[in-house]
Amino acid sequence: MIEVKYFGAVAEKTKCEFEKLSFSEELSLQKLLQDLNEKYEFEALTFSVAVNQKIVSKTSDYTLQTSDIVALLPPFAGG
Amino acid sequence: MSSSTRYNRQIILSDIGEEGQQKLAKSKVLVIGAGGLGTAILPYLAAAGVGEIGIVDHDVIEISNLQRQVIYKTDAIGKSKAKEAKATITELNPLVKVKAISEKLSGRNAISLFEKYDIIVDATDNIAIKYLINDACFVTNKPMVYGSIFRFQGQVSVFNYQNGPTYRCLYPDENSNAINCEEAGVLGVSVGIIGMFQANEVLKMILEIGEVLSGKILVYNVLNNEQQKYDFEKSDIQTITREAFEEKYNKCEVEEVSFESVLNEMDNDEVLFLDVRNTDESPKISLRNQIQIPLMHLESKLENLDKKQTIYIFCQSGIRSKIAFELLQKHQFKNIKSIAGGALAMKQLLKEDKLKLKI
Repeated sequence: MIEVKYFGAVAEKTKCEFEKLSFSEELSLQKLLQDLNEKYEFEALTFSVAVNQKIVSKTSDYTLQTSDIVALLPPFAGG
Repeated sequence: MSSSTRYNRQIILSDIGEEGQQKLAKSKVLVIGAGGLGTAILPYLAAAGVGEIGIVDHDVIEISNLQRQVIYKTDAIGKSKAKEAKATITELNPLVKVKAISEKLSGRNAISLFEKYDIIVDATDNIAIKYLINDACFVTNKPMVYGSIFRFQGQVSVFNYQNGPTYRCLYPDENSNAINCEEAGVLGVSVGIIGMFQANEVLKMILEIGEVLSGKILVYNVLNNEQQKYDFEKSDIQTITREAFEEKYNKCEVEEVSFESVLNEMDNDEVLFLDVRNTDESPKISLRNQIQIPLMHLESKLENLDKKQTIYIFCQSGIRSKIAFELLQKHQFKNIKSIAGGALAMKQLLKEDKLKLKI
Protein backbone atom coordinates (compact mmCIF):
# COMPACT_ATOMS: atom_id res chain seq x y z
CA MET A 1 0.00 0.00 0.00
CA ILE A 2 1.11 3.51 -0.73
CA GLU A 3 -0.57 6.73 0.24
CA VAL A 4 -1.16 9.56 -2.21
CA LYS A 5 -1.92 13.06 -0.91
CA TYR A 6 -3.60 15.72 -3.01
CA PHE A 7 -3.48 19.48 -2.52
CA GLY A 8 -5.16 22.60 -3.90
CA ALA A 9 -6.72 22.34 -7.34
CA VAL A 10 -5.52 18.72 -7.67
CA ALA A 11 -7.63 17.70 -4.65
CA GLU A 12 -10.62 19.38 -6.30
CA LYS A 13 -10.20 17.03 -9.25
CA THR A 14 -9.70 13.91 -7.15
CA LYS A 15 -12.46 14.96 -4.72
CA CYS A 16 -10.39 13.60 -1.85
CA GLU A 17 -7.33 14.79 0.04
CA PHE A 18 -5.64 11.42 0.16
CA GLU A 19 -6.13 7.81 -0.81
CA LYS A 20 -4.37 4.53 -0.22
CA LEU A 21 -3.52 2.46 -3.24
CA SER A 22 -2.38 -1.12 -3.37
CA PHE A 23 -0.33 -2.56 -6.20
CA SER A 24 0.59 -6.11 -6.97
CA GLU A 25 3.52 -5.75 -9.33
CA GLU A 26 6.39 -3.32 -9.36
CA LEU A 27 5.15 0.24 -9.82
CA SER A 28 7.28 3.17 -10.89
CA LEU A 29 6.43 6.72 -9.91
CA GLN A 30 6.04 7.61 -13.57
CA LYS A 31 3.49 4.83 -14.09
CA LEU A 32 1.57 5.83 -10.96
CA LEU A 33 1.32 9.40 -12.27
CA GLN A 34 0.14 8.14 -15.64
CA ASP A 35 -2.54 6.02 -13.98
CA LEU A 36 -3.70 8.90 -11.80
CA ASN A 37 -3.81 11.19 -14.80
CA GLU A 38 -6.03 8.73 -16.66
CA LYS A 39 -8.28 8.28 -13.67
CA TYR A 40 -8.68 11.97 -12.76
CA GLU A 41 -7.89 13.80 -16.01
CA PHE A 42 -5.58 16.42 -14.53
CA GLU A 43 -5.02 17.77 -18.06
CA ALA A 44 -3.60 21.29 -17.87
CA LEU A 45 -3.10 21.21 -14.11
CA THR A 46 0.48 21.84 -13.11
CA PHE A 47 1.89 20.21 -9.99
CA SER A 48 5.11 19.08 -8.45
CA VAL A 49 5.46 15.60 -6.99
CA ALA A 50 6.98 14.63 -3.66
CA VAL A 51 7.87 11.18 -2.41
CA ASN A 52 8.27 10.94 1.35
CA GLN A 53 8.30 14.75 1.75
CA LYS A 54 10.89 15.36 -0.94
CA ILE A 55 10.14 16.89 -4.35
CA VAL A 56 11.33 14.58 -7.14
CA SER A 57 11.33 14.63 -10.91
CA LYS A 58 8.00 13.51 -12.38
CA THR A 59 9.82 11.45 -14.94
CA SER A 60 11.86 9.65 -12.32
CA ASP A 61 12.01 5.86 -12.75
CA TYR A 62 11.86 5.48 -8.99
CA THR A 63 10.17 2.23 -7.96
CA LEU A 64 7.59 2.84 -5.28
CA GLN A 65 8.02 0.98 -2.02
CA THR A 66 5.31 -0.14 0.35
CA SER A 67 4.47 2.65 2.80
CA ASP A 68 5.78 5.40 0.50
CA ILE A 69 3.81 8.63 0.68
CA VAL A 70 3.41 10.48 -2.60
CA ALA A 71 2.11 14.08 -2.70
CA LEU A 72 0.85 16.12 -5.65
CA LEU A 73 1.49 19.82 -5.02
CA PRO A 74 0.13 22.39 -7.44
CA PRO A 75 1.24 26.03 -7.20
CA PHE A 76 -1.25 28.33 -5.43
CA ALA A 77 -1.94 31.82 -6.65
CA GLY A 78 -4.24 33.54 -4.17
CA GLY A 79 -3.15 36.33 -1.92
CA MET B 1 15.10 55.72 25.08
CA SER B 2 11.51 55.67 23.86
CA SER B 3 12.41 53.26 21.07
CA SER B 4 13.92 50.69 23.43
CA THR B 5 10.76 50.94 25.55
CA ARG B 6 8.64 50.49 22.43
CA TYR B 7 10.49 47.32 21.52
CA ASN B 8 11.09 46.12 25.10
CA ARG B 9 9.08 42.90 24.89
CA GLN B 10 11.13 41.62 21.99
CA ILE B 11 14.45 43.07 23.15
CA ILE B 12 14.15 41.06 26.38
CA LEU B 13 14.12 37.87 24.31
CA SER B 14 17.66 36.61 24.61
CA ASP B 15 17.74 35.64 20.92
CA ILE B 16 17.02 39.24 19.93
CA GLY B 17 18.33 41.79 22.44
CA GLU B 18 19.49 45.32 21.55
CA GLU B 19 21.68 43.84 18.85
CA GLY B 20 18.71 42.18 17.14
CA GLN B 21 16.76 45.41 17.36
CA GLN B 22 19.62 47.20 15.60
CA LYS B 23 19.51 44.59 12.82
CA LEU B 24 15.79 45.26 12.40
CA ALA B 25 16.35 49.02 12.31
CA LYS B 26 18.96 48.61 9.58
CA SER B 27 16.89 46.29 7.42
CA LYS B 28 14.96 47.19 4.29
CA VAL B 29 12.01 45.09 3.20
CA LEU B 30 9.95 45.44 0.03
CA VAL B 31 6.43 44.02 0.16
CA ILE B 32 4.86 43.46 -3.23
CA GLY B 33 1.10 43.48 -3.02
CA ALA B 34 -0.91 45.20 -0.29
CA GLY B 35 -3.82 42.79 -0.52
CA GLY B 36 -4.75 39.97 1.85
CA LEU B 37 -1.22 38.74 2.52
CA GLY B 38 0.44 42.15 2.36
CA THR B 39 -1.91 43.81 4.82
CA ALA B 40 -1.30 40.96 7.28
CA ILE B 41 2.49 41.20 6.92
CA LEU B 42 2.96 44.99 6.87
CA PRO B 43 1.74 45.99 10.35
CA TYR B 44 3.88 43.31 12.01
CA LEU B 45 7.04 44.31 10.17
CA ALA B 46 6.41 47.96 11.03
CA ALA B 47 5.53 47.27 14.65
CA ALA B 48 8.67 45.17 15.10
CA GLY B 49 10.78 48.09 13.92
CA VAL B 50 11.96 47.11 10.43
CA GLY B 51 13.87 50.25 9.39
CA GLU B 52 12.57 50.74 5.91
CA ILE B 53 9.51 49.27 4.22
CA GLY B 54 8.49 49.65 0.58
CA ILE B 55 4.93 48.84 -0.49
CA VAL B 56 4.23 48.12 -4.15
CA ASP B 57 0.60 48.04 -5.25
CA HIS B 58 -1.11 49.84 -8.11
CA ASP B 59 -4.66 48.89 -7.10
CA VAL B 60 -7.28 50.89 -5.28
CA ILE B 61 -9.30 49.60 -2.34
CA GLU B 62 -12.57 47.93 -3.25
CA ILE B 63 -15.40 47.00 -0.94
CA SER B 64 -14.85 43.30 -1.60
CA ASN B 65 -11.28 43.63 -0.25
CA LEU B 66 -12.32 44.68 3.25
CA GLN B 67 -13.33 41.19 4.42
CA ARG B 68 -9.67 40.17 4.47
CA GLN B 69 -7.52 43.28 3.98
CA VAL B 70 -8.15 44.40 7.51
CA ILE B 71 -5.96 47.50 7.72
CA TYR B 72 -8.26 49.37 5.31
CA LYS B 73 -11.27 51.28 6.57
CA THR B 74 -14.61 51.45 4.77
CA ASP B 75 -14.22 55.14 3.96
CA ALA B 76 -10.95 54.40 2.13
CA ILE B 77 -12.74 52.64 -0.74
CA GLY B 78 -11.40 54.01 -4.01
CA LYS B 79 -8.09 55.13 -2.51
CA SER B 80 -4.64 53.79 -3.38
CA LYS B 81 -3.75 50.66 -1.41
CA ALA B 82 -0.06 51.52 -1.24
CA LYS B 83 -0.77 55.00 0.12
CA GLU B 84 -3.41 53.87 2.60
CA ALA B 85 -1.18 51.07 3.85
CA LYS B 86 1.64 53.58 4.25
CA ALA B 87 -0.59 55.93 6.25
CA THR B 88 -1.72 53.11 8.56
CA ILE B 89 1.69 51.68 9.32
CA THR B 90 3.26 55.11 9.74
CA GLU B 91 0.67 55.83 12.42
CA LEU B 92 1.42 52.46 13.95
CA ASN B 93 5.15 53.15 14.13
CA PRO B 94 6.48 56.58 13.06
CA LEU B 95 10.07 55.35 13.48
CA VAL B 96 9.75 53.27 10.31
CA LYS B 97 10.54 54.86 6.97
CA VAL B 98 7.79 53.81 4.57
CA LYS B 99 7.63 54.25 0.83
CA ALA B 100 4.38 53.80 -1.09
CA ILE B 101 4.96 52.74 -4.68
CA SER B 102 1.65 52.88 -6.54
CA GLU B 103 3.04 51.29 -9.67
CA LYS B 104 2.52 47.97 -11.28
CA LEU B 105 5.57 45.77 -10.84
CA SER B 106 7.04 45.05 -14.27
CA GLY B 107 10.26 44.06 -15.96
CA ARG B 108 11.06 47.75 -16.26
CA ASN B 109 10.96 48.69 -12.57
CA ALA B 110 11.58 45.38 -10.75
CA ILE B 111 15.36 45.29 -10.75
CA SER B 112 15.99 48.93 -9.84
CA LEU B 113 13.41 48.60 -7.07
CA PHE B 114 14.73 45.33 -5.65
CA GLU B 115 18.27 46.68 -5.53
CA LYS B 116 17.20 49.17 -2.86
CA TYR B 117 15.98 46.49 -0.43
CA ASP B 118 17.40 43.46 1.44
CA ILE B 119 14.38 41.17 1.39
CA ILE B 120 11.56 40.91 -1.14
CA VAL B 121 8.16 39.67 0.01
CA ASP B 122 5.83 38.17 -2.57
CA ALA B 123 2.31 38.98 -1.40
CA THR B 124 0.83 38.97 -4.89
CA ASP B 125 -2.05 37.02 -6.31
CA ASN B 126 -1.03 35.80 -9.72
CA ILE B 127 1.45 33.31 -11.05
CA ALA B 128 3.03 35.39 -13.81
CA ILE B 129 4.11 38.06 -11.35
CA LYS B 130 5.62 35.40 -9.07
CA TYR B 131 7.94 34.33 -11.90
CA LEU B 132 8.86 37.97 -12.49
CA ILE B 133 9.62 38.46 -8.77
CA ASN B 134 11.58 35.22 -8.70
CA ASP B 135 13.67 36.18 -11.71
CA ALA B 136 14.33 39.73 -10.50
CA CYS B 137 15.33 38.33 -7.09
CA PHE B 138 17.70 35.93 -8.81
CA VAL B 139 19.28 38.71 -10.87
CA THR B 140 19.63 41.04 -7.86
CA ASN B 141 20.55 38.23 -5.44
CA LYS B 142 17.75 38.92 -2.93
CA PRO B 143 15.71 36.39 -0.98
CA MET B 144 12.04 36.09 -1.94
CA VAL B 145 9.54 35.30 0.78
CA TYR B 146 6.75 33.49 -1.01
CA GLY B 147 3.21 32.96 0.22
CA SER B 148 0.04 32.00 -1.55
CA ILE B 149 -3.40 30.63 -0.96
CA PHE B 150 -5.81 28.20 -2.50
CA ARG B 151 -9.12 28.35 -0.63
CA PHE B 152 -8.36 26.83 2.81
CA GLN B 153 -4.74 25.89 2.06
CA GLY B 154 -1.65 28.01 1.98
CA GLN B 155 1.98 27.66 0.89
CA VAL B 156 5.02 29.43 2.29
CA SER B 157 8.68 29.27 1.29
CA VAL B 158 11.80 31.40 1.02
CA PHE B 159 13.45 31.29 -2.38
CA ASN B 160 16.92 32.32 -3.44
CA TYR B 161 18.09 32.58 0.17
CA GLN B 162 21.90 32.52 0.21
CA ASN B 163 21.93 31.06 -3.30
CA GLY B 164 19.33 28.47 -2.31
CA PRO B 165 16.63 26.99 -4.57
CA THR B 166 14.20 29.33 -6.34
CA TYR B 167 10.53 29.29 -7.27
CA ARG B 168 11.54 27.86 -10.64
CA CYS B 169 13.30 24.94 -8.95
CA LEU B 170 9.98 24.06 -7.30
CA TYR B 171 7.71 24.97 -10.22
CA PRO B 172 9.64 24.94 -13.51
CA ASP B 173 6.49 25.06 -15.63
CA GLU B 174 5.72 28.73 -16.09
CA ASN B 175 2.51 28.19 -18.01
CA SER B 176 0.44 27.00 -15.13
CA ASN B 177 -3.09 28.21 -14.66
CA ALA B 178 -3.60 28.37 -10.90
CA ILE B 179 -6.55 30.45 -9.82
CA ASN B 180 -6.49 33.37 -7.39
CA CYS B 181 -8.73 34.47 -4.49
CA GLU B 182 -10.97 36.49 -6.76
CA GLU B 183 -11.90 33.32 -8.63
CA ALA B 184 -11.49 30.73 -5.87
CA GLY B 185 -12.75 32.59 -2.81
CA VAL B 186 -10.93 32.95 0.48
CA LEU B 187 -11.57 33.55 4.15
CA GLY B 188 -9.73 36.47 5.77
CA VAL B 189 -8.10 34.37 8.47
CA SER B 190 -6.49 32.09 5.88
CA VAL B 191 -4.51 34.91 4.26
CA GLY B 192 -3.83 36.26 7.74
CA ILE B 193 -2.28 32.98 8.88
CA ILE B 194 -0.12 32.59 5.77
CA GLY B 195 0.89 36.27 5.94
CA MET B 196 2.04 35.70 9.52
CA PHE B 197 4.20 32.79 8.40
CA GLN B 198 5.78 35.11 5.80
CA ALA B 199 6.36 37.94 8.29
CA ASN B 200 7.95 35.38 10.61
CA GLU B 201 10.40 34.28 7.88
CA VAL B 202 11.32 37.92 7.21
CA LEU B 203 12.06 38.59 10.88
CA LYS B 204 14.04 35.35 11.28
CA MET B 205 16.24 36.23 8.32
CA ILE B 206 16.92 39.73 9.63
CA LEU B 207 17.55 38.52 13.18
CA GLU B 208 19.52 35.49 12.01
CA ILE B 209 17.61 33.19 14.33
CA GLY B 210 15.88 29.87 13.80
CA GLU B 211 15.73 28.01 10.52
CA VAL B 212 14.70 29.79 7.34
CA LEU B 213 12.24 27.94 5.06
CA SER B 214 14.82 27.71 2.31
CA GLY B 215 14.66 24.61 0.11
CA LYS B 216 11.42 23.70 1.85
CA ILE B 217 7.82 24.48 1.11
CA LEU B 218 5.36 24.59 3.96
CA VAL B 219 1.79 23.62 3.12
CA TYR B 220 -0.84 24.54 5.70
CA ASN B 221 -4.48 23.51 5.81
CA VAL B 222 -6.56 25.82 8.00
CA LEU B 223 -9.53 23.43 8.12
CA ASN B 224 -7.73 20.58 9.87
CA ASN B 225 -4.57 22.42 11.02
CA GLU B 226 -2.37 19.92 9.26
CA GLN B 227 0.94 21.22 8.06
CA GLN B 228 3.59 19.52 5.98
CA LYS B 229 7.04 20.53 4.85
CA TYR B 230 8.45 19.30 1.56
CA ASP B 231 12.12 19.56 0.65
CA PHE B 232 13.27 20.56 -2.80
CA GLU B 233 16.65 21.06 -4.36
CA LYS B 234 18.32 23.69 -6.41
CA SER B 235 18.20 23.04 -10.12
CA ASP B 236 21.13 24.40 -12.07
CA ILE B 237 19.08 24.92 -15.20
CA GLN B 238 16.61 27.29 -13.53
CA THR B 239 18.82 30.36 -13.64
CA ILE B 240 18.49 33.66 -15.45
CA THR B 241 21.07 36.26 -16.36
CA ARG B 242 20.42 39.98 -16.37
CA GLU B 243 20.54 40.00 -20.18
CA ALA B 244 18.04 37.15 -20.38
CA PHE B 245 15.84 38.99 -17.90
CA GLU B 246 15.80 42.13 -20.05
CA GLU B 247 15.13 40.06 -23.13
CA LYS B 248 12.27 38.18 -21.49
CA TYR B 249 10.49 41.00 -19.71
CA ASN B 250 11.37 44.20 -21.49
CA LYS B 251 11.26 43.35 -25.14
CA CYS B 252 8.30 44.98 -26.83
CA GLU B 253 6.37 45.02 -23.65
CA VAL B 254 3.74 47.50 -24.69
CA GLU B 255 1.39 48.46 -21.93
CA GLU B 256 -2.12 48.71 -23.26
CA VAL B 257 -5.14 50.20 -21.57
CA SER B 258 -8.75 50.38 -22.68
CA PHE B 259 -10.12 53.86 -23.32
CA GLU B 260 -12.93 53.00 -20.94
CA SER B 261 -10.51 52.61 -18.05
CA VAL B 262 -9.05 56.09 -18.64
CA LEU B 263 -12.30 57.93 -19.49
CA ASN B 264 -12.27 59.80 -16.20
CA GLU B 265 -8.84 61.23 -17.03
CA MET B 266 -10.13 63.27 -19.94
CA ASP B 267 -10.16 66.39 -17.79
CA ASN B 268 -7.05 65.57 -15.83
CA ASP B 269 -4.26 68.07 -16.57
CA GLU B 270 -1.70 65.58 -15.28
CA VAL B 271 -2.23 63.36 -18.30
CA LEU B 272 -1.89 63.85 -22.00
CA PHE B 273 -3.63 62.05 -24.84
CA LEU B 274 -1.26 61.78 -27.76
CA ASP B 275 -2.77 61.24 -31.22
CA VAL B 276 -0.07 59.83 -33.52
CA ARG B 277 -2.27 59.71 -36.63
CA ASN B 278 -1.83 62.00 -39.59
CA THR B 279 -3.85 65.19 -39.45
CA ASP B 280 -6.19 64.15 -42.27
CA GLU B 281 -7.42 60.99 -40.59
CA SER B 282 -10.91 60.63 -39.19
CA PRO B 283 -12.75 60.17 -36.92
CA LYS B 284 -11.42 63.26 -35.25
CA ILE B 285 -10.96 63.04 -31.53
CA SER B 286 -10.68 66.32 -29.68
CA LEU B 287 -10.06 65.97 -26.00
CA ARG B 288 -9.10 68.99 -23.96
CA ASN B 289 -5.78 67.47 -22.86
CA GLN B 290 -4.77 66.13 -26.24
CA ILE B 291 -2.12 66.89 -28.82
CA GLN B 292 -1.46 65.46 -32.24
CA ILE B 293 2.01 64.48 -33.46
CA PRO B 294 1.97 62.10 -36.44
CA LEU B 295 4.15 59.05 -35.83
CA MET B 296 6.59 59.98 -38.61
CA HIS B 297 7.39 63.29 -36.85
CA LEU B 298 7.31 61.99 -33.31
CA GLU B 299 11.01 61.39 -32.78
CA SER B 300 11.89 64.92 -33.88
CA LYS B 301 9.28 66.51 -31.64
CA LEU B 302 9.95 64.75 -28.38
CA GLU B 303 10.78 68.05 -26.69
CA ASN B 304 7.08 68.87 -26.87
CA LEU B 305 6.37 66.05 -24.46
CA ASP B 306 6.87 66.00 -20.70
CA LYS B 307 8.45 62.83 -19.33
CA LYS B 308 6.80 63.39 -15.98
CA GLN B 309 3.34 63.41 -17.50
CA THR B 310 1.27 60.27 -18.01
CA ILE B 311 0.81 59.90 -21.75
CA TYR B 312 -1.93 57.83 -23.37
CA ILE B 313 -1.00 57.17 -26.96
CA PHE B 314 -3.58 56.39 -29.60
CA CYS B 315 -3.76 55.97 -33.37
CA GLN B 316 -6.53 54.70 -35.62
CA SER B 317 -6.77 51.11 -34.38
CA GLY B 318 -3.94 50.57 -31.91
CA ILE B 319 -1.04 49.44 -34.13
CA ARG B 320 0.93 52.65 -34.67
CA SER B 321 0.43 53.61 -31.03
CA LYS B 322 2.42 50.52 -30.09
CA ILE B 323 5.27 51.63 -32.32
CA ALA B 324 5.05 55.08 -30.75
CA PHE B 325 5.10 53.42 -27.32
CA GLU B 326 8.36 51.64 -28.13
CA LEU B 327 9.85 54.83 -29.50
CA LEU B 328 9.00 56.79 -26.35
CA GLN B 329 10.18 53.91 -24.19
CA LYS B 330 13.52 54.03 -26.00
CA HIS B 331 13.77 57.70 -25.03
CA GLN B 332 13.19 56.92 -21.34
CA PHE B 333 9.54 57.88 -21.14
CA LYS B 334 8.16 55.83 -18.25
CA ASN B 335 4.51 56.80 -17.75
CA ILE B 336 3.16 55.80 -21.12
CA LYS B 337 0.33 53.57 -22.23
CA SER B 338 -1.15 52.65 -25.57
CA ILE B 339 -4.93 52.82 -25.95
CA ALA B 340 -6.26 49.52 -27.26
CA GLY B 341 -8.39 49.77 -30.39
CA GLY B 342 -7.31 53.37 -31.06
CA ALA B 343 -9.57 56.21 -32.22
CA LEU B 344 -12.18 53.81 -33.59
CA ALA B 345 -12.76 52.29 -30.15
CA MET B 346 -12.58 55.71 -28.53
CA LYS B 347 -15.16 57.25 -30.80
CA GLN B 348 -17.53 54.37 -30.21
CA LEU B 349 -17.27 54.82 -26.49
CA LEU B 350 -17.59 58.59 -26.63
CA LYS B 351 -20.80 58.17 -28.63
CA GLU B 352 -22.14 55.66 -26.16
CA ASP B 353 -21.40 57.99 -23.33
CA LYS B 354 -23.16 60.78 -25.20
CA LEU B 355 -20.41 63.11 -24.25
CA LYS B 356 -20.59 66.53 -25.84
CA LEU B 357 -17.34 66.64 -27.68
CA LYS B 358 -16.35 68.16 -30.96
CA ILE B 359 -16.11 65.01 -32.97
